[in-house]
Amino acid sequence: MASNTANGNGKRNGSTPAATLARSLRTSAGQAERVEALAAKIAQSGTQQAAAADAARASVEDIVASVEETATASEELARTNTTVAGNTRDVLQGLESTVAGLQEITASVAAVRKDTDSLALAADSTATSLEQLGRSTKSTAANAEELSETSARLTSAATETSASVASAALRGQETATMIEEVATTVEQMAVTSARLAGDSRLVGDRMVTVASGLKELGGSLEEVAADAAETATSVEQSSATAEELARSFRGVAELAQNLTSAATESASALSEVAASVEEVAATAEKNASVVESNASSIEQVARSAQVVAQSAQEVSNLASQNAAATAQLESSSRRIAGVVETARVTSERVAVSARASGQTVGRTIAGFAKIREAMGQGATVMKDMGKRAEEIGDIVQAINLIADRTNLLSLNASIEAARAGEHGRGFAVIAEEVRALADRAAAAATDVAKIVRSLQSVARDAVSANTDGLRLADEGAQLSEDARTGLQVILEGVDQLASSVKSISAATEEQVRGVQSVTAATARLETESRSIARASAEQTLATSSLARSGGEMRTMAKQTRDATLEQAKALRDMVKSNDQLTANIDKVSRATEEQATSAAQLARAVVQMRGAAQRTTTAMVAQLRTLTAMSTNVQEVSGSTQRTVTAIGENAKGAAEIAKAMDAARKQAMQAARAVTEQARAAKEIEATASDVARLSAEVTSASNEQAEALGLLATDADSVRKVAKQSSRAVGEQSDALSSLSSLAARQSAALQTITRSTNEQAAATDQIAQAMRALRGQSREMTGVLVGQAKSAAATAADVATVAQEIAALRAANGEQAAMVSAMAGTDEDHAGTEDPRT
Amino acid sequence: MATELHVTFRVGTADYAVPAAQVLHLESYDSATPVPGAPSYVAGLVQVRGRLVPVVDLRARFGLAPVPHSIDHRVVVCQVGTRVAGLLVDSARDVIRIEDGAFEKPPDLVEQQAGGFIKGIATVTKKMFLLVDVPRIIGEELSHG
Repeated sequence: MASNTANGNGKRNGSTPAATLARSLRTSAGQAERVEALAAKIAQSGTQQAAAADAARASVEDIVASVEETATASEELARTNTTVAGNTRDVLQGLESTVAGLQEITASVAAVRKDTDSLALAADSTATSLEQLGRSTKSTAANAEELSETSARLTSAATETSASVASAALRGQETATMIEEVATTVEQMAVTSARLAGDSRLVGDRMVTVASGLKELGGSLEEVAADAAETATSVEQSSATAEELARSFRGVAELAQNLTSAATESASALSEVAASVEEVAATAEKNASVVESNASSIEQVARSAQVVAQSAQEVSNLASQNAAATAQLESSSRRIAGVVETARVTSERVAVSARASGQTVGRTIAGFAKIREAMGQGATVMKDMGKRAEEIGDIVQAINLIADRTNLLSLNASIEAARAGEHGRGFAVIAEEVRALADRAAAAATDVAKIVRSLQSVARDAVSANTDGLRLADEGAQLSEDARTGLQVILEGVDQLASSVKSISAATEEQVRGVQSVTAATARLETESRSIARASAEQTLATSSLARSGGEMRTMAKQTRDATLEQAKALRDMVKSNDQLTANIDKVSRATEEQATSAAQLARAVVQMRGAAQRTTTAMVAQLRTLTAMSTNVQEVSGSTQRTVTAIGENAKGAAEIAKAMDAARKQAMQAARAVTEQARAAKEIEATASDVARLSAEVTSASNEQAEALGLLATDADSVRKVAKQSSRAVGEQSDALSSLSSLAARQSAALQTITRSTNEQAAATDQIAQAMRALRGQSREMTGVLVGQAKSAAATAADVATVAQEIAALRAANGEQAAMVSAMAGTDEDHAGTEDPRT
Repeated sequence: MATELHVTFRVGTADYAVPAAQVLHLESYDSATPVPGAPSYVAGLVQVRGRLVPVVDLRARFGLAPVPHSIDHRVVVCQVGTRVAGLLVDSARDVIRIEDGAFEKPPDLVEQQAGGFIKGIATVTKKMFLLVDVPRIIGEELSHG
């Protein structure tokens, strides 16, 4: 450029145009050189600016990255805040459950105390009842022995009676057996009907049970539905509480220390209480087992007393039946005596009339013989008559023949007379008369023949009738003979009957004697069995009250044990939750992230829970509806079953009526046979009753012994129950104290935790604000980066432009140089310096 | 009015009459000796008062079923010209006088059916008698015999 300027300067003194051009060219070259230098400077500054803009962009990007980091960190903080909130809520829940458990324990301890007091009282009353029972059992044993003796006497008397009745029973047994069979069949039918009715009633009962079970199921389902609804509500509440909790967890860090100490304190107190409760649980367990064994032995005693009472009642009933049977026996014996007398009189009358009949029959036989003789004579006469009638028939035939011939002759005479003409007229008249006579003779003969024919038929009838009469007479004679034989047999039977009647009389007298002794024994038996029944009833009453108090004791012991077990369980849970609480509190400061996560999970879980709870409620309602329909169906079935039962019951009633009717029919059976059968039955009943009484007496004695043993055991058990009840009372008092201190600790913990919750919530709010600010910052940083990038770009463009300008200027300068050279060459002729001053292009 | 004596007889259920002038006499009938080659209605030959007389069974001649022998059977011995023949009838127990004009010509149907044996019908005291044409009965018999 310096040369360019020199070129311009070189032309300045030229006098010719070329010199002028060379000068101006040199001038412009110098200018171009200056412009080039300027452009280079500008390009340099543009490049510098671009570099500076790049640097600015890089630094802004760094800022953006750091802002992102900060935002992420703040979001993470928010998350951990939620986790902390969740943990704190867990802690609070644990505390609440602890408080609730404590309240429950307190209530159950109070109940245990009450039960224990009642237990002591019941144990006392049990001891008293046992003493009463012992006394009553002894008297029962004495009565039972007396009863055994009486029943032995009764058995011997009954056997005697039975033997005397047996001989009389044989005679009427056959008829009685048949009627008995029919009656038995009918009774079986009645029994079967009754059993059918019973079965049907059972079916009905079962249906009713099913219906009630369904109803119960429905009730429990309703409860479940209510529970589900309650759960939904509580879930809502939990959600609200969780939100509240999320607002205040800022003060967690400060209050964690307080909480830790309180938790530790409460943990130790809880451990103490737990130990005490375990002790109480063990005691209660022991108590329950003792009471259980006590109650079972009392129940055994009650059962045995009931059996004794039942047996005594049965004995009493049997004695009453015995008395009734004896009375029946007496009346039937009397009736038999009457019947026997009637039989004697009747048999005498039968003997008299049988003898009279024998005489009559003898006369009848003689009469039959005479009839037979007369019949034989009549038959002979009839045969003769038939013979004569035949002879008469022959004669009539002869007369008929003669008449015929006469008619023929008279006709021929008439013909002859006609042929003779007038001379034969008189002859013709005679012939006419002869013919008329012959015709009359023929008619008469015909009449005679008719009469003879009828006579002959009558004679034949008479002969055959006579033959029949003869046969009948023979048969009559035979029958009369048979009648005579039969009468002989009747007379023999009457004699046998008389002797039988005598033997029956003797047997009846023996019976009456036996019955009297049975009556006396029965009266004694009745009295004694009544006194036994009374004593047994008293015993049963006493054992029943004992069993009731035993049952109450068992219930109380069970309640106590259950309550104590619940307490122990609750306390274990509490200890566990307290440990967790402590751990959680330790974790609170360094696990803010977990808190946030837990809170989010909680919220989701709550929503799911709410949905699930609602679905559950809906499902429960549907289930309930179905169950109600089912219940209605079952009730309908039950109703129809009840109707069936009623119908079967009517059937059974009808069968019973039939049985009653059969009984009436049986009553209408022969008097004597029935009386004898009744006697036999009564004797059998007395015998069976006597053996039953003996058996029952033995049972009563053995039961009394069992009772005595059981009572000994009971007395021991009652003592141990009393002891256990006292121990329980003491332990429960200790528990109560420990629980009070624990409650106060828990309340303190709860207060501390509430404060923590509040602080945590505040923290969360602050964290949210930070996150928001970070997000704003990040946005601003990004904007700045964009601006800077634009700047850098424009600077680079400027640098490029400037470089282009510089190049163009350089080209311009080269051209200018060439021009200057050419001008110099041209001017060389004129000037020497021209070539020298153009060194390059 | 002039009357003529007639012999009445019965064959089956109908009463017949024959003029007494044509009747020689009546005979009882036991049996007849059969004539070989004779027509079926000729019962046979019987001996009457020393001469043999052929007997015509009127039942067979009139186409009626035969009946067992009875005491009432008669043989009416008739003479037409020099020919003598017997008519076997079920019974013949009477002679009656019938007015000459009492007989009427039988209806054409009856005459044809009877084969020309019935010449007339007369009713006497409410009883109907068929007049037998003896020459025709006997003549035909004779012409065959």
